[in-house]
Amino acid sequence: MSRINIIALIAFVGVLVWVFLFGQGTVQRVQQGAMSVFGPIIGSADKVEEIVGEPSALDLMSKGEIRAQMEVLERENQKMKLEILKLDEIASENNALRRALNYVQNSPLELVPARVVSRKGATWYNTLIIDKGEDANIRLDSPVIIPVGEDAGLVGKVSQVGRNTAVILLLADEMCMVSSRILGTTEQGILSGQRGALRSMPSLNLKYLSKDAVIASGKTVISSGAGGVFPPNLLLGTITDFKQGPINGEASVKPAVNFDVLENVFVVLGERQEPEEDA
Amino acid sequence: MIYYIPITILLLALSFVFQEFMPAIEWAYYARPLLIHATFFCLAVTVPYPIMLVLAFLGGYAYDARYHVALQGTGSADSAELAFGLTILLFGLMGSFVQGVRPLFRRGRWELPVIMVGICTMVTLTFEYSIISFRRGGLDLSPEIWFKMLMSSLFSMIAAPLLLILLTYIAKATGYRIKLQGINRNYNYGNSL
Repeated sequence: MSRINIIALIAFVGVLVWVFLFGQGTVQRVQQGAMSVFGPIIGSADKVEEIVGEPSALDLMSKGEIRAQMEVLERENQKMKLEILKLDEIASENNALRRALNYVQNSPLELVPARVVSRKGATWYNTLIIDKGEDANIRLDSPVIIPVGEDAGLVGKVSQVGRNTAVILLLADEMCMVSSRILGTTEQGILSGQRGALRSMPSLNLKYLSKDAVIASGKTVISSGAGGVFPPNLLLGTITDFKQGPINGEASVKPAVNFDVLENVFVVLGERQEPEEDA
Repeated sequence: MIYYIPITILLLALSFVFQEFMPAIEWAYYARPLLIHATFFCLAVTVPYPIMLVLAFLGGYAYDARYHVALQGTGSADSAELAFGLTILLFGLMGSFVQGVRPLFRRGRWELPVIMVGICTMVTLTFEYSIISFRRGGLDLSPEIWFKMLMSSLFSMIAAPLLLILLTYIAKATGYRIKLQGINRNYNYGNSL
């Protein structure tokens, strides 16, 4: 090994040790910078994916002249179908936004609405990226929710914050652990997702239940509020299976939130402060 | 040499942009082509050892800045499972490993460098997953996990020949030649001995 290689290797090890010694604050600042740089790219990548994913009228074109007439008609037909689909999409988006607006107005929590800009996360973690960050007062660990019927369903929590973007660790991930309780019982446990980000909609695991518990399928699981990270009574899912172990019981839970179709979410900043009325 | 090295840094930076456009494949348990890894390993075959270390640092640092999941708010200060900087270490180690096939690449034999890209990606992923399992106190080596890692490596390997062709063209255009310590003669890319 030549002298220059040895010097380079020593310098590399030195720099590596320096990086390993980065404190939490430094890592956060580095990641904030990176999110600011990558933010526009992430947004445009998602837009490109949407455009590529949309069916195009050109897909129906044929090269043969004999079938030209039929192709024109098919194209028109396709176009109209797409227009209907678009209208349906707009109507459903309108309804979703109306429901969201109602939810924000009636919620006891202070919420920041955000749009999902990318679902591409790290290899081993179930994450997504939203278009709001530090500028909207979003902080690490802020819970993220969406309206599910009349209730709020838990999506996950903020794991990384940039100036105008934030990374959400989804409830589908094993590392997003929520203190939970089963409605109609006294049972409490810890709910978490699955390891390895193998599926977007995995079955969740509710651990540390009593081994003698009798828990029927279909029971609702909500957050207990213990630990202080997640507010109480957020909808988490429904029990699909319960197994009694030698020490404690474990239940499988179907998530209340469909992580595949998330478009707009709400980041919880805290309890809403009601303005005090003068006596 | 003067032009080739800055171009390799530019290529590495571009791989970060293209990585954002890489889709996750649902049937492969959301595996995706790891273009940054593939680009780095291909570059590592073509550059001298000190430059490879510089690329490992730049690539690993930027990768962790973008993809590191810190889990900072989970209660403990050191709750990140994969330490910030781990990718630099892995890139440095795998890059050193890949440097071993430089003589073959110099002779225009691309098979082994391409396979090495796949192997190095697989080793990197296995190492990361092992750390995650160790930190979580339970080794869950399901077939799905292996399949995801294997498919990520294969997808990355598919990109390798294209990257190596590109690097060959860039090397020829810039007049860059591989030099190996202990060998006095210089060789052009693609020219067999």
